[in-house]
Amino acid sequence: MEKEFYTDEFEQLIKEKADQFRMYPSKRVWHSIYNNLHPSRRWPSVLMSLLLLTSLMLIGYLNTGDNTINRPINTTPFAKTDNEINNTQKPESKKQISGYTKTQQQPVSGYDHAFDDVITNETDFYAYTIVKSNRPNYFYTTTPVADAMIPAAKNNGENSGKDLIQDVDTYIKSNKIFADIAVANKKNKTNSTKPTAKNSNTDVLKDDNTEVDANTTATDKVTASTPAKTNGNDLNKSAKGDKKATAKINAAENKKALTNEEKAWIENYVLLSKPGKNKWKENLAFQFYATPAVNYRKLSTKTKGSTTAFATMGDINNAISQKPGFGFEAGAGLTYSITKRLRLKGGFQFNYTNYNIAADQTNHPVVTTILLVDPVTGYSYSASRTSTTANAYNSTPLQPVTLHNRTYQISVPLGFAYKLSTEKNVDWFAGASVQPTYVFGGNAHIISSDLNKDMESESGF
Amino acid sequence: MLNGCLRNNATAQEALYNRFSPRMLGVCYRFAKNREDAEDMLQEGFIKVFTQIHQYRNEGALEGWIRRIVVHTCINILKKNKKFSDSVDITNAHSIHVREEMIPSIMQAKQVVECIRSLPLGYKTVLNLYAIEGYSHKEIAFLLDIEESTSRSQYTRAKSMLEEILVRKKIIQQPKKKTNFFGAV
Repeated sequence: MEKEFYTDEFEQLIKEKADQFRMYPSKRVWHSIYNNLHPSRRWPSVLMSLLLLTSLMLIGYLNTGDNTINRPINTTPFAKTDNEINNTQKPESKKQISGYTKTQQQPVSGYDHAFDDVITNETDFYAYTIVKSNRPNYFYTTTPVADAMIPAAKNNGENSGKDLIQDVDTYIKSNKIFADIAVANKKNKTNSTKPTAKNSNTDVLKDDNTEVDANTTATDKVTASTPAKTNGNDLNKSAKGDKKATAKINAAENKKALTNEEKAWIENYVLLSKPGKNKWKENLAFQFYATPAVNYRKLSTKTKGSTTAFATMGDINNAISQKPGFGFEAGAGLTYSITKRLRLKGGFQFNYTNYNIAADQTNHPVVTTILLVDPVTGYSYSASRTSTTANAYNSTPLQPVTLHNRTYQISVPLGFAYKLSTEKNVDWFAGASVQPTYVFGGNAHIISSDLNKDMESESGF
Repeated sequence: MLNGCLRNNATAQEALYNRFSPRMLGVCYRFAKNREDAEDMLQEGFIKVFTQIHQYRNEGALEGWIRRIVVHTCINILKKNKKFSDSVDITNAHSIHVREEMIPSIMQAKQVVECIRSLPLGYKTVLNLYAIEGYSHKEIAFLLDIEESTSRSQYTRAKSMLEEILVRKKIIQQPKKKTNFFGAV
């Protein structure tokens, strides 16, 4: 170093006081350092995320209720018509109906193979009566949830560091520090020893410890010799009067000082060698997220060449009672910052969608007709199916059930985000993404063409 | 402790951090705008220390090594914020007003540090590096991408400004004016 070392009393004073100054960092700093150094130990937070996800799924499931239909039928005795008696379900009679259905489809045999998967599972279909929207309120099983008032949490966050400084200040102002220093000084004099070995790591630390002690002792001498008053004049006098002690400090610091070669190496390493290697890592960020969703449906009757009109009963959306249900999206993603403002996003996401259908259970299967669409031509055609429900308004009172139209999806969202603005702790982004999705499970209910039945298929996807 | 840090042992790292962080935060605080910025600087500095600790060659004090890394981190952050280059402009230095109202009268060490912090960014950076951290003007010029002469003049002005503040705050006495052989100023 070319610089002359502290030729000035003023500089000595500044150096001395600045070196005495210490602040205690908040716990947040160490936690951030720890998380940065040991990313693998973030697994507890991942587990917590999974727990949160599971809880969300459970809440969603409990909220939507049991999807299985209660097989026991209303035991209230009532007179059966001849047709109903003929249709009374037995396994054999179901098969007969299926056979009948197939023979009925012969005129449109061109579409026979279009929905093989649906037809082969025909015996699994159940038919439900769609409940009209004018159903009496007491039929609905859902109960309104009262809104809870959540009191706003009071933000009592205080700067612990300031408190610390004030505590230290109070401590010093009370002059108790000088008594403590005097005691510590005596102890240091009796305990201080010089290290001999220097090469091993532990020895270096011992050496360092001792230097700190020596330094502290020297500083203590300065402080101890300073009068207890805190005004500026006294400080100036003390600074002048303690030249010897300061010289000792300087000598101790000179011993610790790094050589030019060492400093040059550190500078080169810290300033020049630091970036480059892991720059891509700095731009990469992981995200885990879970989002609750509310799903609803909008029905449409627009199909090419519709043979049986859906619209005979007016607006299809008013003819059936379907309500929004809870779902959620959860996933893990990666963001990569191309520039300061532009980020690319990609990831893996699981979606659960659900909406509810209010229906009533029938006493026996009923033949009904549904409209299917040929995926090749896009034209619709009729197909017969069986249903085990009937409408509540045109038969004896039945047991209400809630059906769920559910899907389980896996998707790969890909997109970008552009940072619009940055406020103190909030960043505003605008972005877009595409989300190729694969539906791997769920259950769907197909509405019959007369809007009275609903067909369920386990293999509907 | 050092061996533990070399093995990436969290307990050893925490011990090292607890030992040196108060002093290093004091260093960062002299460069930073506020406590939060200082803590951010400290965080980045210690991450560098722990990731590069295998490069420490057991020559010289560990604290000195850590301190230099922390100081360089502070300078890098200041340069990254781009505020530094604007405030170093020496030509407008005379018009800069020191924000003395932010200097609390708490205690001597803190008073002095707060007086240093009240200086304009360019002044206090040069003063910190030269007077406290012991860098030469040549090194400062390299670190801050400024001329060596600029560093010198910045330091001279910073020093006189700080002296003035300390006198006004009654932290030090008015220095005697230097006279020549004939007694003239």
